Amino acid sequence: MATEETTSDQLGQSTALRIQQLKGQLFEVALVAATLVGIVSLLVLFAQISNDAFRPRTASSTWFLVYFGTLVAPTAAFTLYARRRPAVRTANALAFAAVFGGLLLSFVTYVVVDALSPYDVFIYAFFASLPPVLVLAYDRTTDERTYTGPLIPVSIIVGVGVAALVDGPISGPLGVAAEWIMYFGLVTVPAALLVAWLTASRRGRRTGAVAGGVVAAGGLAVAVASIAAGVDASLPIVVFSAFAVPTGYVTWWSVKTNPEGRVGIAGPFVILGGVLLGASLVDRLGIESPDSYLTPTLILESWDGLTASNAGVYPQIVGSIIIVGFMAVLAFPVGIGAAIYLEEYAPDTGLRGRLATLLEVNISNLAGVPSVVYGLLGLALFRRTLGFGTGIVVSAAGTLGLLILPIVIVSTQEALRSVPNDLRQGSYGMGASRWQTLREVVLPEAIPGTLTGTILALARAIGETAPLVIIAVATTKYSPPSGLFSSATALPLQIFAASANAKPEFRHGVVPAAAVVLLVLMLLMNATAIVIRNKYGRTN
Amino acid sequence: MSESDSSPKIQTTIETGDEESRHAPLNARDTVIETRDLDVYYGEEQALDGVSMEINEHDVTALIGPSGCGKSTFLRCINRMNDMIEVCRVEGDVEFGGKNVYDDDVDPVALRRKIGIVFQKPNPFPKSIRDNVAYGLKIQGYEGDIDERVEESLKRAALWDEVKDQLDSSGLDLSGGQQQRLCIARAIAPDPEVILMDEPTSALDPVAASKIEDLIDDLAEEYTVIIVTHNMQQAARISDRTAVFLTGGRLVEYDDTTKIFEDPEEQRVEDYITGKFG
Ligand SMILES: Nc1ncnc2c1ncn2[C@@H]1O[C@H](COP(=O)(O)OP(=O)(O)O)[C@@H](O)[C@H]1O
Ligand SMILES: [Mg+2]
Repeated sequence: MATEETTSDQLGQSTALRIQQLKGQLFEVALVAATLVGIVSLLVLFAQISNDAFRPRTASSTWFLVYFGTLVAPTAAFTLYARRRPAVRTANALAFAAVFGGLLLSFVTYVVVDALSPYDVFIYAFFASLPPVLVLAYDRTTDERTYTGPLIPVSIIVGVGVAALVDGPISGPLGVAAEWIMYFGLVTVPAALLVAWLTASRRGRRTGAVAGGVVAAGGLAVAVASIAAGVDASLPIVVFSAFAVPTGYVTWWSVKTNPEGRVGIAGPFVILGGVLLGASLVDRLGIESPDSYLTPTLILESWDGLTASNAGVYPQIVGSIIIVGFMAVLAFPVGIGAAIYLEEYAPDTGLRGRLATLLEVNISNLAGVPSVVYGLLGLALFRRTLGFGTGIVVSAAGTLGLLILPIVIVSTQEALRSVPNDLRQGSYGMGASRWQTLREVVLPEAIPGTLTGTILALARAIGETAPLVIIAVATTKYSPPSGLFSSATALPLQIFAASANAKPEFRHGVVPAAAVVLLVLMLLMNATAIVIRNKYGRTN
Repeated sequence: MSESDSSPKIQTTIETGDEESRHAPLNARDTVIETRDLDVYYGEEQALDGVSMEINEHDVTALIGPSGCGKSTFLRCINRMNDMIEVCRVEGDVEFGGKNVYDDDVDPVALRRKIGIVFQKPNPFPKSIRDNVAYGLKIQGYEGDIDERVEESLKRAALWDEVKDQLDSSGLDLSGGQQQRLCIARAIAPDPEVILMDEPTSALDPVAASKIEDLIDDLAEEYTVIIVTHNMQQAARISDRTAVFLTGGRLVEYDDTTKIFEDPEEQRVEDYITGKFG
């Protein structure tokens, strides 16, 4: 039969081929439809929530016009301008990270330290950082090769123990000093040291010391000015050190190294300025703004279960941040350590190998265990076995820590596994020990993946509700937790409680608004993860 | 070299890294590595079968043979890279300077500082060119001038002129051939005595490969080079002695390269070299 067909017949499309192609196209259409259904339903959901929280339809059209003029149009124009200029985009990205990262850092630092008492935090920070600094200083001064590495984590733990012992006797006398001095020590001093170190590594020691001195002097100047103006110096000092200093440093750095892109520094200020200008215009001209539930009251005040417009979730925001922060301190070292052992040290064969395999399989399973069950585990462990008080921060953080532990382990293992074996072989072949190979080659390569995975675990933890209900964290509380052993409070719990409020404006206004706050917290974490991944993930 | 004068040498070289013992003037071609009845198993499967071989100092020794005949396995036995493979079991002796490297008192980490290795696929670390070359020096706690050693090693690896202006850029930005020369520079920076190479040119284009071949010629003046190659012409061009492995992990013939390629004793070797099989 082959002899009867000409070549051109063979190259044409047969019916079989056409059907094959049609099948392929149908499959593609089905895939696109599935994707769209998913995305569209999520979008509708978010639109609904933000509509309820923000209520844009209650605003006058002038309000929209004002913000269009001050915020949307300038931002769009700036984006268009920067789009084709890579240098501008680089500077812009850096400025964005510094400005908004700085604002966020200021907010988080201030609210957390304020809730936990600046004197206690200062004492703990001081005693936890002094021993490792001493160890490092000793290491520097001796010429001989010393093996101080393992001493550093040990010294930190010892320092924390000492702090716990002396906190009681010291915090009394320390209370004589003004609060802002504690903030100066907690935020300005590290900022000054960081700037000094960064500058010194690029410009030499002299300049570094001067730069650090300038930051410290600036902090003092801010304090003096605030006191002269009759306001508490604490917040200004935090904002100066965690926002103004990084912003200033990045601006200086961009102007120095990237002169053609320096316009990009303006990016975040276009947005900030637009918001502020819009707000002041709306205020001056008496323009009718939306009757939104997403107000400063919601973010900065504490709860009011009777009047929706007075209800705020400040204690809950701070509570969630403290719980998740302490959880990270508990779960990350354990999880990352376990992953490194399982991936890099545990043998593949023999009894210990089989044990490791068994562990790995079970850890993967634990990642899927329902969070209610972790709540029960937390209840049994912290309340029954250890006899901790009901619903305190430590129990909440510990329970959530157990919940994310498998996620941290699995994602860290994945990151370690993605480091090519060639690199390990290369390092061993150079006569490196296992620890040297791990520290010099494997871990640096695995950091971006590990950080991404762990931050995503944080984002998961901040929204968890069920385990907190089980360990009996109070649903409504009027002040943030004042310590690790004081009673906890968390944003998702407050949302859960308010959703049962009899008044509809709570159910349809405050709840969605608080949900938006929770989503923003979570998205900020994810954004951090993405920034880190993009920054380090260029090797492949 | 007799047993008695070689034993103390390994003591000094492995444990204290005595500088003088390195390129001691040669009376004749001394044996630096000697294997006796070397059997290697991966689980049940035997990869090397009774390999006995003496490798001369400052020679380029080529290992040739069809895929899977155990050439890489042999190479990995010399600096104990096989230790990392859990199923791998080594029987017999591998002596380096008269000391059995599988003795209990030999630290594989110290051994690998004396015997460098270059792999088939270039595997520079995702670090700067400078840090790549300095890697071995840093982990060994080298106290001298690292920059000077980096420059010297890059020059010896015939890479200096191409990278001297970009020492701080990533080693991964180089071309494949440059990456492989970077790996060679990295291997020679801590000044080992022996350099093992496992098909170092098989992932490279012919031009890059010939640069590496020239380089191997120069390296042989200072180091003992043992190279696995798939390429018969390469073995003939660059090596002083050639070992032919055939299936079953057996060393079939080992002699001067000219002898192997012009007048091999074994019919099977002649068949392999003339391309009748393999
Ligand atoms: N890591 C390993 N695990 C199990 N078997 C291996 C391993 N490496 C090599 N082998 C086996 O050992 C034999 C020799 O392999 P190899 O030394 O890599 O040969 P060559 O380098 O000559 O191609 C092959 O049969 C191979 O399947
Ligand atoms: Mg091989």
